[in-house]
Amino acid sequence: MEEIRLEHLSKEFSGFVAVDNVNLTIKGGELFSFLGPSGCGKTTLLRMIAGFEIPTRGRILIGDQDIIDLPPYKRKVNTIFQNYSLFPHMTLCDNVGFGLKMKKVAPKEIDQRVMEMLELVRMQDQARKYPDQISGGQKQRIAIARALINKPQVLLLDEPLAALDLKLRQHMLIELMNIHDLVGITFIYVTHDQGEAMSISDRVAVMSEGKIVQFGPPDDIYERPSSIFAAYFIGETNLLSSEVIAVEDDYVQLRSPIGNGDYIEFDSCFKRVPEVGQKLVTSLRPEKIAISRAKPRALDDINMIKGIIEDILYLGSHTQYIVRVGNQRIRVFSQHKRVYFDDKALDWEEPVWLFWHDSDTWLIEETPSAQIASSERFYESTGHYLRTPKRSASN
Amino acid sequence: MMNNASWLLTAPALIWLLTFFAVPYLIIVIYSFLTADIYDVKFLFSLDSFRQAFQSAYLRTFLLSFKFAFYTTAICLLIGYPVAYFIARSREAVKNNLLILIIIPFWTNLIIRIFAWRIFLSYNGVLNEALMGLNLIGQPLEILRTDLAVMIVMVYVFLPYMILPLYSVIEKMDWTLLNAAMDLGATERRAFFRVTLPMSFEGIIAGSILVFIPALGAYLIPQLVGNQRSLLVGQVITYKIKNIPLNWPMASALSLILLFVVALLLILLYLTYKSRRRGGSPSDAIRNQRY
Amino acid sequence: MNLPSPARIYKSLNLTIFTLVMVFLYIPILILIIFSFNDAKIITSWQGFTLRYYRLLWENAAIKAAFRNTLLIAGLATLISTVLGILAALGLENKRFSGRKGILALIYTPLVIPDILMGVSLALMFNFTRVQTGMFTVLIAHVTFCLSYTVIVIQSRLEGFDRSLVEAAMDLGAKPSQVFWRVKFPLMMPGIIAAALLAFTLSIDDFIITFFTSGRGFDTLPVYVEGTIRRGTITTINSLSTVMIAFTLFLVAATKRIRKNLFGSF
Repeated sequence: MEEIRLEHLSKEFSGFVAVDNVNLTIKGGELFSFLGPSGCGKTTLLRMIAGFEIPTRGRILIGDQDIIDLPPYKRKVNTIFQNYSLFPHMTLCDNVGFGLKMKKVAPKEIDQRVMEMLELVRMQDQARKYPDQISGGQKQRIAIARALINKPQVLLLDEPLAALDLKLRQHMLIELMNIHDLVGITFIYVTHDQGEAMSISDRVAVMSEGKIVQFGPPDDIYERPSSIFAAYFIGETNLLSSEVIAVEDDYVQLRSPIGNGDYIEFDSCFKRVPEVGQKLVTSLRPEKIAISRAKPRALDDINMIKGIIEDILYLGSHTQYIVRVGNQRIRVFSQHKRVYFDDKALDWEEPVWLFWHDSDTWLIEETPSAQIASSERFYESTGHYLRTPKRSASN
Repeated sequence: MMNNASWLLTAPALIWLLTFFAVPYLIIVIYSFLTADIYDVKFLFSLDSFRQAFQSAYLRTFLLSFKFAFYTTAICLLIGYPVAYFIARSREAVKNNLLILIIIPFWTNLIIRIFAWRIFLSYNGVLNEALMGLNLIGQPLEILRTDLAVMIVMVYVFLPYMILPLYSVIEKMDWTLLNAAMDLGATERRAFFRVTLPMSFEGIIAGSILVFIPALGAYLIPQLVGNQRSLLVGQVITYKIKNIPLNWPMASALSLILLFVVALLLILLYLTYKSRRRGGSPSDAIRNQRY
Repeated sequence: MNLPSPARIYKSLNLTIFTLVMVFLYIPILILIIFSFNDAKIITSWQGFTLRYYRLLWENAAIKAAFRNTLLIAGLATLISTVLGILAALGLENKRFSGRKGILALIYTPLVIPDILMGVSLALMFNFTRVQTGMFTVLIAHVTFCLSYTVIVIQSRLEGFDRSLVEAAMDLGAKPSQVFWRVKFPLMMPGIIAAALLAFTLSIDDFIITFFTSGRGFDTLPVYVEGTIRRGTITTINSLSTVMIAFTLFLVAATKRIRKNLFGSF
């Protein structure tokens, strides 16, 4: 299995830089994702690999071969398009066999291989149907069959699950993983949905404004984001602008302003030794914080701060709390486990203790910018939440 | 798609249209400055044709044509709008069949349709026989060979040209806007005049153009059912080209004037359309909210 | 006492107008058909049922010649204008094409000019170039006025064309020529047929332009019919008209599916 190398790959559209000097090596056989918001350049990147856009600069190598000068129909690369792009005037059979027909394979062999493929995606009894007669999920599978039958070196997937509803998306995600395991070729997956990218990828590259912000295995990016963007884009996090007060052997002391001249102090472990007085950003994932009415026992490696509950969002499997600490709002995810829950549920305006392990504090060496200050962004949420009605204090 | 490829592909059609559409108009211009001859045209420069064209007799012809075209368009709009609306609002299953009913006369040959009216309206034709038979009139009506006949047949012939564009615009309308209007307190009548009508404006323009302009240059209708004393432009031009004594320069001059009038009308329409659009753009709506 | 709601009044008013208009549109045609069976020389009063005039129609050589000419011109004009239309529409697909605005303007212009002007202009041009009027001049004229329509119909259908299908085909190994013939052209077919149909009906129906560009000896049916009406020798006109109406009905029925595409591009 050959690796794919992107060297100094750039694409400009009349002054607008869509892809900015991307350098990356994708290992043969891996499932690699490009993740980023719309407009970050991931689709343009994919299209350059497929051959639909000509790079302004750079090279794309599969193995040792630079494929830049090859037109799409000469590359051993196949694409799954966002809306599947099945040929409406052909049967599913003819759609799947199209690539083989173009290579002038014998009709008998085409029929046989088409049937094999249809069996692989479990659509063999719909062979004679037309694309407008099947559902979205089924079209997906035909698109996969149509691409894989040509035995490409790389399969490109352009937001393949975007047009499906939630339950189907989850199902198809697993199917894609299974197909990948079965077929073994390199998959390059493009999406704006971090859930998809994280769950199926061997490695993920997070993109923003044409550049690769960070890449690596999903857990690496989640737990150890190297930039505010990466921390912010994947999952939820609390970002606090902090200053290093002291540096010890295995931890640093930080303090963060919470308005009115007040500060909170907490410890963090670190990857690179910071300097005293250095200003940086701490990222603290909400699920790492425990919340309680009673003051927890003071332990060496546990950070503790006090706050007041401002908002409660009940989500069934867990509750999100927005806790006011000075002028900061800390988000806390609390799973409903009886192990550390009080008997009585927490209420609005209750004073609480937030505590977490100092190895869960993560330092990002970027100076705080307007990003963190913007409270609107902080309240961005992606789902529909159940608001529990405010209960009176006498309850 | 390469620019050159596009030029190559559009070249045949382009060359054809330039040769057989654009260039002939240049020839009209040339001919309008020549001298007339009974059987042909003499290549002698002359301004006679223009001098004559601007005489009152011919100006009256233009005015008459304009009048007919205008009334035809207005009546077609008045009658055609309810029809288009009716079809657009009917059930899906019925819509197609109703459209077929409109298309059949539309696709029937023009001459036949005019001829049918001749039979209907003539002195001892069906209409008169029927009316006399029902004792509604004592003497047959002389409708054929009058301006009224021309009017009736013009509306008859051009009605589908108004209905179909109107239909296609009304059909695509967002009906929920009407519900929104009534929800906000508008009666059916007000909702129609304030929502439906303005939104079908483009259809009204399209239909009006498709009726008015051909009506201006009509030949067959006035020729077959009209009064030989009130000639329309189309007839005058045709006489000068086809009937001996020929007067091609005159015909050319008149054609140019007709072309000019049509061009003027289109420019006017375009400007009205643009200014109306500007008034109704979303940014204006937002801005106006503040006041 | 309940008064019907304003909505219902308007609705029944609408229905009334619609019915009246339908009557208005159809009575002359129906009368024409009925009277084609009328056994009388003066076709304004009913004398008796007869098929005589249909027989006379069948035996009339001039009409048959005119009919053949009409079909010949319509067929050729449809073919040429559709082919040119396909090419032009494909060329106009490219939105950044430098000549796009100008060429579109040139194509739209004939649609908003009275066709008598096209007839005059062509007649004068043929005179100027000393070209003999006849079949070729009529053919040229027909192609010219059909061309705008074919381009616009095919082009408007191309606008809704899914570009990703072209990319998908290339992705699967199809060379540009294969992409066109196997994907693009089959999907353009409905639009092409709609355009051809439109050109055909426009051509067989045309009078004024053919009138100006045909000489003696080459008649199409509309020109022939007008001539006989003008000269007054109208014995078989009724039956001819009925036949033509029947032909229209046939055309309407036979093109049921395609007409949906036609009206999309109005």
